[in-house]
Amino acid sequence: MFQAELGAGILLAALVLCVVSILISFSAGHREDALLAPIGRRAFCAMAVMIVAAALVLEWALVGHDFEIAYVTEHTDRSLPLALTMAALYGGQEGSLLYWVLGVAVIGSVSLAAAARLGVKLTAYATGFLALVCLFYLIMLVFVASPFSLLATVPPDGLGLNPVLRDGGMLIHPPFMLAGFSFFAIPFSFAMAALLAGRNDVAWIAHTRRVALLGWGLQGVGLTLGMWWAYHVLGWGGYWGWDPVENVALMPWLVTTAYIHSAQIQERRGQLRAWTIFLVIVAFLLSIFGTYIVRSGIVTSVHSFAVSPLGPWFYGFLIVCVVTSAVLLAWRARSLGSPPLESAVSREGAFVAQNVIVMGITAAIFWGTVLPLVSGMFGTPLVVGPSYYERVGAPLFVLLLALLAVGPLLPWRRAGRVWLRALRWPLLAAALSLALLVLFGARSPGALVVLPLLAAALTTSALELARGGRAVQRAPGPWAGAAVRAARRNRRRYGASLAHIGIVVAIAGIAASHFWQTQTQVTLRPGQGFTVAGYHLAYQGLSSQVVGDHSVKTAHLTLGDEQLGPALASYPGLGAQALPRVAIRSTPIADLYLVLVSSRGQSVTITAFVNPLVTWIWAGVGLMILGVIFGNLGGAGPEPVAEPRALRRPAVARS
Amino acid sequence: MWRWLVIAAILVSCTGYLIYSATGSSAEYYETIAQLQAHPPNREVRVLGVVQNDIHTAAAGGQVLFSASQGGRALKIAYSGQLPEIFKPGAQVVVDGRPGPGGVFQAQSLQTKCPSKFSSAPPPTSGS
Repeated sequence: MFQAELGAGILLAALVLCVVSILISFSAGHREDALLAPIGRRAFCAMAVMIVAAALVLEWALVGHDFEIAYVTEHTDRSLPLALTMAALYGGQEGSLLYWVLGVAVIGSVSLAAAARLGVKLTAYATGFLALVCLFYLIMLVFVASPFSLLATVPPDGLGLNPVLRDGGMLIHPPFMLAGFSFFAIPFSFAMAALLAGRNDVAWIAHTRRVALLGWGLQGVGLTLGMWWAYHVLGWGGYWGWDPVENVALMPWLVTTAYIHSAQIQERRGQLRAWTIFLVIVAFLLSIFGTYIVRSGIVTSVHSFAVSPLGPWFYGFLIVCVVTSAVLLAWRARSLGSPPLESAVSREGAFVAQNVIVMGITAAIFWGTVLPLVSGMFGTPLVVGPSYYERVGAPLFVLLLALLAVGPLLPWRRAGRVWLRALRWPLLAAALSLALLVLFGARSPGALVVLPLLAAALTTSALELARGGRAVQRAPGPWAGAAVRAARRNRRRYGASLAHIGIVVAIAGIAASHFWQTQTQVTLRPGQGFTVAGYHLAYQGLSSQVVGDHSVKTAHLTLGDEQLGPALASYPGLGAQALPRVAIRSTPIADLYLVLVSSRGQSVTITAFVNPLVTWIWAGVGLMILGVIFGNLGGAGPEPVAEPRALRRPAVARS
Repeated sequence: MWRWLVIAAILVSCTGYLIYSATGSSAEYYETIAQLQAHPPNREVRVLGVVQNDIHTAAAGGQVLFSASQGGRALKIAYSGQLPEIFKPGAQVVVDGRPGPGGVFQAQSLQTKCPSKFSSAPPPTSGS
């Protein structure tokens, strides 16, 4: 077969184009050469085309079961369904690198093509930095971890996919996660270009904000899908374990969340310029750090990814990125000076507080993740478990919630006495819900703090939405049209309110499932039953059947008229590895979550969890992402009022 | 300007203290079996080992006795609680606990690590 040669050749061509693009772009940027710069950009786009072609060739080899290629043998076999075979493109080490650079190259090309108005110098430098990022991945793909390496002898069949991963989750979680990770490279490259070009205006921020938000949205979806997948497939009743692999995925997302807020101040008031650039850079560095942690296996994790020779390479790349960005930022810091904030009690002050808290959470997670490495240098490594994250995270999240209740009501610049009056509704909501909780016998201090704050934050967000609603009522003409116009005009504010309501809903779900999870384990013979948190379950019997390469034992339980069947699948071909298949009965109030732990004859052991409000988490995150997309991705409407403020400023700055 | 720096310093030191105190109260040492046996600790530690071929399950209490080995040394471990389905000889386990009477390690929690290539292993089936 020739796919291997074709693919490897295409990747080599991409590498050459990448080097050409770097050389031309930096030289064009240096000389501000308007003729040379587009050539560098086209070389970058040609490289992107090559990378897409290489991915298509790999996909072709996977679907064609070309077991001569090591990657195909290691990640698929003939019995794997087509969708999962195709998903192997990003399922393994080499393929995920290819998928990553594909994301950077394609979205980078689009972003560069739309960047003409940022000026020759900035665009050329941005092309150069993007190509530098791609260069690292292409060197990996060509010289270190080629997805097109050949096997000495061609096996009749591949090794297949781990049963944990044979799931719909595999089709959707990794591509979102990886795409989100790769998108951080674009704002980073533009930030570096702006620093190198000595630009201190906000034009590039406005330009890359959509890419940053797209990356943020994709990663938010990826994280949530990961939680959802873990919850539905792994059978331990939870969705987040504070494992290093989860932490490193959460950190860049948190930093980008801070950036979304600080960019508001920068665009509106021109403040916090250096800080915003710092956040963009840190988000990218954390995404590389995460890849390093995951690929090197240097921190022990319950997730065991292939420990590969890529670790030191990523370490080197991380060091180069840290040093380069630190030097550039230090060099330009003086020219990034911006007017100081006027008052702490203002919208700006609230945004700064949000940034500080979110970065505090990020720092705590970072410390918990690297603690084994740091302490390992001085002796026996120290590790921290979920209790550490809960202890640090809980107070910071409570502060964040309080801020969510107060911040959106504060006016820009300086708040007078008036804002105290605006606070009466959230305060009332908090007091009312506290009274209700005490009345209904809630005594857990956590719940008594978190739930009233949630009520206050929800009230604030609802007030924000309602304020627009009153404007609609007063407006002449049919109300639907007025509502659409108002939504368009205040796109960002409605988007933010929607996103904040989403956060409140998600935190309510997290808090409820944390405080009020019920768990019980029972061993039952047919005909016996048990009760968990008000659910009466009866066990009918056990059935087993053979499906393909594995056998499945299903325990049949009834809840009233409903049938629930937690099962256990065992794979003899994989050393009798057994996997639970969880049965979940979801309602908006609570999930009944049943795991078949083991069976002996007809007698079964079952763990039952009742997880309140878990569905709220998925719904809340959905709302949050919708809100952010609504608030930021629109614009081409008849009254694009939300955008121009940011876009016009560079013209002023240049003149 | 100074006002902002003071506020920032206060916030940073509060967060720092929070992180410091939480680390102090919940960090545990990740020791090797050799270290553990040389200097039995009097606080909770974490140990990694490979399950040996001597798993005994007490019928009544649900307690499991087994040995785990690492670097040529074996450690007797007692654990009562729910066992992950892939717990069997040859599996890598991570246990948290402290040495008890007779040198038997009393595990508070037990996790198995999945030995397979590229995959996420089943997470702890027993919460700690």
